[in-house]
Amino acid sequence: MDVVIEIVNFSAYYGDKQVVRDVSMKIFRNKITAIIGPSGCGKTTLLRSINRMNDHLPGFRVEGKIFFEGQDVYASNLDVTEYRKKVGMVFQKPTPFPMSVYDNVAFGPRIHGIRDKRLLDQIVENALRRAALWDEVKGELHKPATQLSGGQQQRLCIARALAVEPEVLLLDEPTSALDPISTQKIEMLLEELSEYYTIVIVTHNIAQAVRIADYIAFMYRGELIEYGPTRDIIERPKHKLTEEYLTGKIG
Amino acid sequence: MKRDLVLSQVFRIVSYVVFSIILLMFVLVILGGIRYFSMSFFMEYPRNNMREGGIFPAILGSFYLMVLTFIVAVPLGVFTGVFLSEWENFFTKWIDVSLTSLSGIPSIVYGLFGLAFFCVALGFGTSMLAAALTLSLMTLPVIASATKETLKAIPVELREAAYALGATKIEVIFKVLIPAAKRGIVTAVLVGGGRALGETAPVLLTGAVFYSTFLPRSVFSPVMTLPTHIYYIMMAYGEKAQWMARATAAFLLIVVAIIYSLAFYLRRREHGRSH
Ligand SMILES: Nc1ncnc2c1ncn2[C@@H]1O[C@H](COP(=O)(O)OP(=O)(O)OP(=O)(O)O)[C@@H](O)[C@H]1O
Ligand SMILES: [Mg+2]
Repeated sequence: MDVVIEIVNFSAYYGDKQVVRDVSMKIFRNKITAIIGPSGCGKTTLLRSINRMNDHLPGFRVEGKIFFEGQDVYASNLDVTEYRKKVGMVFQKPTPFPMSVYDNVAFGPRIHGIRDKRLLDQIVENALRRAALWDEVKGELHKPATQLSGGQQQRLCIARALAVEPEVLLLDEPTSALDPISTQKIEMLLEELSEYYTIVIVTHNIAQAVRIADYIAFMYRGELIEYGPTRDIIERPKHKLTEEYLTGKIG
Repeated sequence: MKRDLVLSQVFRIVSYVVFSIILLMFVLVILGGIRYFSMSFFMEYPRNNMREGGIFPAILGSFYLMVLTFIVAVPLGVFTGVFLSEWENFFTKWIDVSLTSLSGIPSIVYGLFGLAFFCVALGFGTSMLAAALTLSLMTLPVIASATKETLKAIPVELREAAYALGATKIEVIFKVLIPAAKRGIVTAVLVGGGRALGETAPVLLTGAVFYSTFLPRSVFSPVMTLPTHIYYIMMAYGEKAQWMARATAAFLLIVVAIIYSLAFYLRRREHGRSH
């Protein structure tokens, strides 16, 4: 199978504190990979290490390697801004910019040099359609994005990420701030998107991981305890910790 | 519990007293001058030793001076604020502390500095330019620290969202942070402008002329302004000219009050929105 991201003996530290311990895993193309585990186990840190969002945090450093399509992500000659175009990210809290719906989605294409109005219109529409938001906002593209509902804002953030045509979409608990209906919409959306994109999602919600993920990675205290197809992890966990977490004994 | 209640009553009474005094000042100044308002008061030049006519050149002079001050202070202040907020290091911390202490310097000292530096050393003479530069020096810290504070208050998630789209630091600053901080910056500009409009001492020393029958022809001309006009009348003219000082004071107070209300309104909307 086609590997998009390969994580090799990867460790991450905040100062002296090691929060990701020697993790190795392969992330497959056009699959949904869920990272689960108790609070503080290093899920967010690992996810943000993939698109180098932790670089600016004081005291942050890494060991080991992450490869994106064979390219060493932490190589000193990597153009980080160019790389982040290929690896989009959606955060836990919706983060619409204080500008119109249209300008939010057009933000990425614009900073990457697209000026043509018709082309931008097309990109914005496509991205909003893919994010299953077009029908709800097509009449009010120029209203402030902050006036959308929380669920709409989160789908807008997905659309905004899609507008730069990434290959990978990283999502950090994208539904934890949303109501059940918005959550369901986003889950359905992610399943559709996995046809075109490789998706990595961090979630606290085991049921959610089971519903949408093709692969599940279970982390505990910075270590990757178990990783494999969702079925295998759920039905035949090899590790005692995994079983205890899935049955709610730890967490 | 009981002490809290007593204390809160004390605070309430004190704040009412303070508010009443301020209100009284407003009412007295405005009532004292508003009855002299007329078309000719706003549109004409002063005549007959300030006993007749209007304050048109002072209104225009104050307006020009404020615009010129903004042209210098707004870009410089905003850039300084961005620099202080987005490049935190020993050097910017040091600038930050100096800026804060700048706002504690009495305005007459700015005036003396402006006189020595802009008028004399740089040879601008008593001119609108020298006065505007002096006023810019005074408003710049206000704009810079407000810009800095507004930028600092922008959640880190918003910056990260922009970085995650492949934006560079410069793009994040110009396309996300400054637009997001726009209202805060405009508020600071208004507050700074309101202060600059009312400043008297620095303008007296650097750019004011007490009477002018023509409008400033260039930035090197001296200007009449509203506050210095009041000052000159009070100092040099007789009883018959007092009405003009009162009317000018009322007008100045109304303008400043409008500017501050606008600033206050924008600030409240700013806060209302972020929730
Ligand atoms: N910026 C930081 N500086 C120092 N320590 C941090 C920082 N961010 C996270 N940590 C610590 O690193 C550890 C892992 O944090 P991380 O956010 O990756 O966990 P998580 O699995 O995402 O947790 P949660 O499920 O609560 O989001 C935690 O112990 C946390 O306290
Ligand atoms: Mg997390």
